[in-house]
Amino acid sequence: FGSFLKTFNYNKALTEADLEPILNQLRDHLIAKNVASEIAVKLCDSVSAKLVGQQMNTWLGLKSFVRQSLEDSILRILSPNRNVNILRDIRAKSSPYAIVFCGVNGVGKSTNLAKIANWLIVNNVRVLVIACDTFRAGAIEQLRTHITALKNIHERDGRQASKVDLFEKGYGKDSAAIAMEGINYARTAGYGCCLVDTAGRMQGNEPLMKQLAKLIKINEPDLTLFVGEALVGNEAVDQLTKFNNSLLDNGCRGVTANASAINGIVLTKFDTIDDQVGAAISMTYITGQPIVFVGVGQTYRDLKQLNAKAVVKALMK
Amino acid sequence: MVLADLGRKITSALRSLGNATIINKEVLDGLLKDICTALLEADVNIKLVKQLRENVRSVIDFEEMAAGLNKRRMIQMAVFKELVKLVDPGVKAWTPVKGRTNVVMFVGLQGSGKTTTCTKMAYYYVRKGWKCALVCADTFRAGAFDQLKQNATKARIPFYGSYTESDPVVIASEGVEKFTNEGFEVIIVDTSGRHKQESSLFEEMLAISTTTQPNLIIYVMDASVGQACEGQARAFNSKVDVGAVIITKLDGHAKGGGALSAVAATQSPIIFIGTGEHIDDFEQFKVKPFVSKLLGMGDIEGLIDK
Ligand SMILES: Nc1nc2c(ncn2[C@@H]2O[C@H](COP(=O)(O)OP(=O)(O)OP(=O)(O)O)[C@@H](O)[C@H]2O)c(=O)[nH]1
Ligand SMILES: Nc1nc2c(ncn2[C@@H]2O[C@H](COP(=O)(O)OP(=O)(O)OP(=O)(O)O)[C@@H](O)[C@H]2O)c(=O)[nH]1
Ligand SMILES: [Mg+2]
Ligand SMILES: [Mg+2]
Repeated sequence: FGSFLKTFNYNKALTEADLEPILNQLRDHLIAKNVASEIAVKLCDSVSAKLVGQQMNTWLGLKSFVRQSLEDSILRILSPNRNVNILRDIRAKSSPYAIVFCGVNGVGKSTNLAKIANWLIVNNVRVLVIACDTFRAGAIEQLRTHITALKNIHERDGRQASKVDLFEKGYGKDSAAIAMEGINYARTAGYGCCLVDTAGRMQGNEPLMKQLAKLIKINEPDLTLFVGEALVGNEAVDQLTKFNNSLLDNGCRGVTANASAINGIVLTKFDTIDDQVGAAISMTYITGQPIVFVGVGQTYRDLKQLNAKAVVKALMK
Repeated sequence: MVLADLGRKITSALRSLGNATIINKEVLDGLLKDICTALLEADVNIKLVKQLRENVRSVIDFEEMAAGLNKRRMIQMAVFKELVKLVDPGVKAWTPVKGRTNVVMFVGLQGSGKTTTCTKMAYYYVRKGWKCALVCADTFRAGAFDQLKQNATKARIPFYGSYTESDPVVIASEGVEKFTNEGFEVIIVDTSGRHKQESSLFEEMLAISTTTQPNLIIYVMDASVGQACEGQARAFNSKVDVGAVIITKLDGHAKGGGALSAVAATQSPIIFIGTGEHIDDFEQFKVKPFVSKLLGMGDIEGLIDK
């Protein structure tokens, strides 16, 4: 009988005070799952704004009602309004399709570039990898090792034209010029896709950010991918904001009209975080751009598409 | 300065105590809320943050507190003590012994900065007059040996590695043996990046540690790592005996709070920090001066030591 009365009492418009304790708990839960704290707060605020004044569905407890609403908004954030279909776009283009990989140091740009090269080769695209990290020790040898390995996998019979090659001009040179030379070479030699590796850089390092902007501005790639690791915490917000803003401020324009210079995200090291999947939410929330690939390990096969539902499930667990 | 932003926020939160006319539970809760928010924004592990809040609350009992007691002072001290606990595991940092062989092994997550930091540390000791060498026991990452080789060559530090041997345990033991015989004092062993979810990688780390018997194992971590830091650091430490932490990439915007979680998880002190990609972007880290500077309250530190 008591529970009947309680249900009855709750059947009224929700107030902020009703929601606050539950949302506080959910906010801490999101932070523990590695959602940047600023974004966890914003998400909870928006759920509160949406629910205040609503009649609660009495069949659900208040807590599940709020949770459901939060889940819905996170799923929406993770589901992009725009799809990136690289293979379709490559086939639609007569000249080589160019992808630039950028991001801070050590996140997995070069490794995931190699995985994507492998994926393109499997889909019958001829790939030219352009080595524009002319700074970090071993960067070029790292790419060469990957190209040799990929050739061993895909060019065993040795009868056809090469499926993947490396374009490099050594260390210490201007990366923007190398990218241009590489793309021009790809055009004359009939490659389907150019993958441009760049050096890692801190988002606040202005000279290096300008250098990257120059590379993108003069080469106008079809796709600029930001590579970010799933391990990153609050710093995700600053990284993405500053990469995008530096590019825009230095004259780069997005291919699409949405004024974002970054057109997509590669989320790496997803195998190292168990269910602390929050970086996926932070990154998509900040950019509004889709996660195009997810890196889940260190071999060529460890490349996946984002499963938004599974991410939400892990997040709310 | 490192973690400076965090320090500023905490100091200003503490200063707000001074502005309050009465210090009651509401004021304390407000203060703790500000401090905890600042810590969470800096990536300190949420469990540690909650613990800090509980610990400070449990020290301050408003009912029982004698009227004349300075509540402000008590609260400040309690907060300070908890913060020191976060950065300072209370063990003395390892230092190499002159005239003997000191083997140091670097471990950590993929891309955290081990290879770069190895050379920085060797260079640091070389400049102080030690005889140092590097061993590349990463046979997995593409181009790993070339990376170490190019760094070492540039810094003129002897190195050992192989393009053909695929077992890192073999290379590590050969390299350490060679340099020991040649009378090197600090021998630094670089290893592949790894993570707790892949047990074979952890077994490999244990095998390298068992054969080379390092005097110190350093856990290298990136300042930008978020909440996953604690679990990884704990796992590394339970597999091998981590004795020190180095935080890299503090030249970015990251406040490095994740590193504090690594300190707590490994019970090991931070000994150096990395502040850039160049070989001399490297600083020694000392806990006590750091915390005083962090909070701008060296006077209170003196009180606690009594
Ligand atoms: N576990 C795991 N490791 C990864 C993944 N992607 C890359 N890595 C590892 O992360 C480390 C750094 O990868 P790189 O590709 O060199 O990173 P980068 O961004 O090119 O680095 P810089 O060019 O130095 O800035 C390597 O050890 C990779 O094997 C992934 O999805 N999962
Ligand atoms: N900005 C900055 N970059 C750093 C710092 N330390 C290392 N890096 C960069 O971080 C990236 C990864 O460094 P590595 O030394 O290759 O990392 P690692 O831990 O050896 O990587 P794996 O062997 O693949 O696990 C490189 O681009 C380095 O130049 C630092 O203190 N600041
Ligand atoms: Mg790279
Ligand atoms: Mg390395």
